[in-house]
Amino acid sequence: MDTFITLLLLVVSWALINNVLLHYFVGACPFLGVSKRVGTAFGMGMAVTFVMTIASMLSWIFTYFILRPHAPVPQWVWELSGGAGDAPFDLTVLSYLLYIFVIAASVQFVEMYVRKNFPSLYKAFGVFLPLITTNCAILFICLEISKRLQDPLKLMPIYEALTMAVAAGFGFAIAITLMAGIREELELCDVPKPLRGAGIALIVAGIMAMAFMGFAGVESGLERALSQFR
Amino acid sequence: METAVALLLAAVVVALLAVAGGWILGWANRKFAVEVDPKVTQINDALPAANCGGCGYVGCGEYAEAVARGDAAIDLCGPGGSSCIAAIAQIMGVDAGGALPYKAVVHCEADRSQRLGLTEYNGEQTCAAANLVGGVQGCTYGCLGLGDCQRACEYDAITIRNGVAVIDPIKCIGCKLCAAACPRNIISMVPFRQEKMLVIACSNKDFGSDVKNVCKIGCIGCKACTRMTSFITMDGSLPTIDYEHYQDGMDFDPVLAKCPMHRLILVGTPSPKDLADTEGESVPKVIEAQFETTVDKTEWRG
Repeated sequence: MDTFITLLLLVVSWALINNVLLHYFVGACPFLGVSKRVGTAFGMGMAVTFVMTIASMLSWIFTYFILRPHAPVPQWVWELSGGAGDAPFDLTVLSYLLYIFVIAASVQFVEMYVRKNFPSLYKAFGVFLPLITTNCAILFICLEISKRLQDPLKLMPIYEALTMAVAAGFGFAIAITLMAGIREELELCDVPKPLRGAGIALIVAGIMAMAFMGFAGVESGLERALSQFR
Repeated sequence: METAVALLLAAVVVALLAVAGGWILGWANRKFAVEVDPKVTQINDALPAANCGGCGYVGCGEYAEAVARGDAAIDLCGPGGSSCIAAIAQIMGVDAGGALPYKAVVHCEADRSQRLGLTEYNGEQTCAAANLVGGVQGCTYGCLGLGDCQRACEYDAITIRNGVAVIDPIKCIGCKLCAAACPRNIISMVPFRQEKMLVIACSNKDFGSDVKNVCKIGCIGCKACTRMTSFITMDGSLPTIDYEHYQDGMDFDPVLAKCPMHRLILVGTPSPKDLADTEGESVPKVIEAQFETTVDKTEWRG
């Protein structure tokens, strides 16, 4: 029950309250670029969720075993080289390099796999799948997971990292689909000339971000409400 | 000591990961290789990569696939023109034959001074909105001149001149975006068999006085043109040109002279003779945009 409550809170927190797009402002390029039609925006959101899940799982594994302080692999190498006690170094500095590598490679791999085995899905994803490689929201989630693996006494288990990545992906999908809906309606409006296009899109994004601020506090309230089940 | 181990470990981790990643991707590339029809690649290379969507497919790549499968005709690419069609025909091993470049033509030529029954319209400045309102002008078929097609054109080929859309056939690449944008459906795609093509510059489907009441220059449906040529037939009150029977070297001067409203016009690239004829005529001055505002002239009194 405790685990379930933790996961539920993670989902609410990452899908709504700490929405990657509207709270952290990462992944804003597809948010503005691919949000003209609801259909394509939803496809983009699903593709991001998909890649985010895979990339965060891989980076959790790398971080847990190699990169975090007191990780098993450096410890083993340290003992092998004749050092005593805890390994005195921490390879977290490599995280950006490895995460980018992992994201790019897994996107490429997934693309080849999907193309061979699910041609219709490949067609649906289209150009979005390779574009996601450069989406900073995915690197951001990997780095957030890395942050939660720094303290050896409070390590984030892999299922929590999985829940967090899926929830963040859904948060991205929700935000970009809402944005696309608003922009479709905006086409029927008489927007002042200087604001047409990117200008009004940024204003809408700002207003949406402010609206999402309304979710702040939901998490603690929910935690209080659920605490009786703990 | 610990620095050396840390450096070594970092280098080895990155190098191993790079090798492993490269190996896995290389293996996957062979394992999951999808055989692509070489024709698709060739056709894709022959296409102009404008990705305009004029052919009805999402991009040049999808159109290339459809052509290679045999699902699409080879002459749908407007931007590529005849050379592109010839290249695709060669790849597909078919005759390019009557494949022609299509260009957009506006079937209305009446500017604001020639239209009757104009009312003041202060609503949303798009044709789509004005078309819904009704009563903006007398003619319910003709150009509204609010520029939906101009905004749809990605190649700057359309200008609105005194309330009527004019397409520059030299700039037009035949992507059909304007034809889709026009709420009155008065833009059609004409196969440009020659440099200059005969088109009917009116869309009014009424007869005689009904047309005269709403437009000074509209086609009145007199059928004079159909009696003189074989390729013009009447569809209701409007003549239509059958471009299938349009021959090279036809002399249009008699039929152009016969049309009482001068609604048969030639559009296309002007010939040297046309340019020589109009050399002496004064062309309307192009007005330069002035970005200066009234604020620039006022004196700042802070």
